[in-house]
Amino acid sequence: MAPVEGSREAADRSASPSNLQVLMARYQQGDLAAATDLIHRLSPQLHRFFVVQFAGRGDADDLLQETWLRIHRVRHTYRAGEPVLPWLYAIARHIRVDHYRKARRAAGREECLEGLPEVAAAPSPESGRTPDLEALLAPLPASQREVIEMLKVAGMTLEEVARATSSSVGSVKQKAHRAYEKLREWMGGPP
Amino acid sequence: MRDREIDNILNRAAQAPHDVDPALLDRVTASIGASLRPVRPVPPVWVLASGLILICAAVAVGGAALLGFHGIQNLSVLERALIFPALAILVFLAATTFAGQMIPGSRRRVAPGALPGVGSFALVAVFAALFHDYRTVDFVHQGIVCLAAGLILAIPAGLASWLLLRRGFAVNTVAAGLVAGTLAGVAGVTMLELHCQNFEALHVMLWHTAVIPVSGVVGASLAWFFRFRAR
Repeated sequence: MAPVEGSREAADRSASPSNLQVLMARYQQGDLAAATDLIHRLSPQLHRFFVVQFAGRGDADDLLQETWLRIHRVRHTYRAGEPVLPWLYAIARHIRVDHYRKARRAAGREECLEGLPEVAAAPSPESGRTPDLEALLAPLPASQREVIEMLKVAGMTLEEVARATSSSVGSVKQKAHRAYEKLREWMGGPP
Repeated sequence: MRDREIDNILNRAAQAPHDVDPALLDRVTASIGASLRPVRPVPPVWVLASGLILICAAVAVGGAALLGFHGIQNLSVLERALIFPALAILVFLAATTFAGQMIPGSRRRVAPGALPGVGSFALVAVFAALFHDYRTVDFVHQGIVCLAAGLILAIPAGLASWLLLRRGFAVNTVAAGLVAGTLAGVAGVTMLELHCQNFEALHVMLWHTAVIPVSGVVGASLAWFFRFRAR
């Protein structure tokens, strides 16, 4: 069965949940050092979240900035003791969806001159080279890419991903399972 | 290829460092620092949901007090014991879902899109089990009067609910509007059950229950309109 929990390495990489909760509480109390710490700790994974969703690096920069400004405006909606990442990613996701809608409206008015970007060659498990996550997740639909990104990069649990995506744990499990099936097919056939 | 191997590849890819332009982070920090002041966190979901339940109860009882408690006076004990607990469960589900919609990353108990449908279906089932008079006297006229009364009462319930949750932030505005409309609609139906003494099965099943989906659709449409205007 596909990944049922976020990877431990990912969880270790991101700040520990209780630390984030303390920092969020201090940020709500007006502590600039805590706000700065949060921005520096969480921005790389948020930026990657946007890049993985096919935003160009420039777009990802804009979306990251917009996300932090929105987080700042609605920081009172975070409840002390609750996990920070689902709250943060729910907002980031909202910004991304808004951006997608605007981009789609703009694209509807523009004439497309180029074809779709090519999907990179599938990495082999034996190769020592570190595969590029964006290229790796490119064949997946946006909803599956989002779930895998949250589980693997942000190190969130299934419950946290369900909260961030306003869905059920069952639906998250199903998306992760389907993503693994698609990746298996892309990378090299049946188990 | 096994799941473990895919897992390893994904983990290796996820561990690769991902840098963000330090100048961008400095800009973000500076703009946040310029307007940083202490804020009071929103109350927990259960407190907000309790407030919503009180609002709905007050609006429904207040409306019925104005129009008269003819319905509940003519209901049997069994009918009261089944209808009002069913409405109470619906109010609870709608209130907790609405409060959750206004706090990003909240745990979801019911899908907002399913709430009006499931709520209406449950009420129709309760009414079908209790009322067996299938005559239809002045069906449309009496029905429209009840539907209109329920919807009119849903307006103050909906407005008061939005007012209570105005500090929240809906990541999905339309879903929040749908649930708010559904909650207000349940308040409208509760008033009708307290007031209306027309117990014809089809009247109650169609016109009373219709307040919930109609109010939900109105709530979602208003939310969509305001989101569209905000762009």
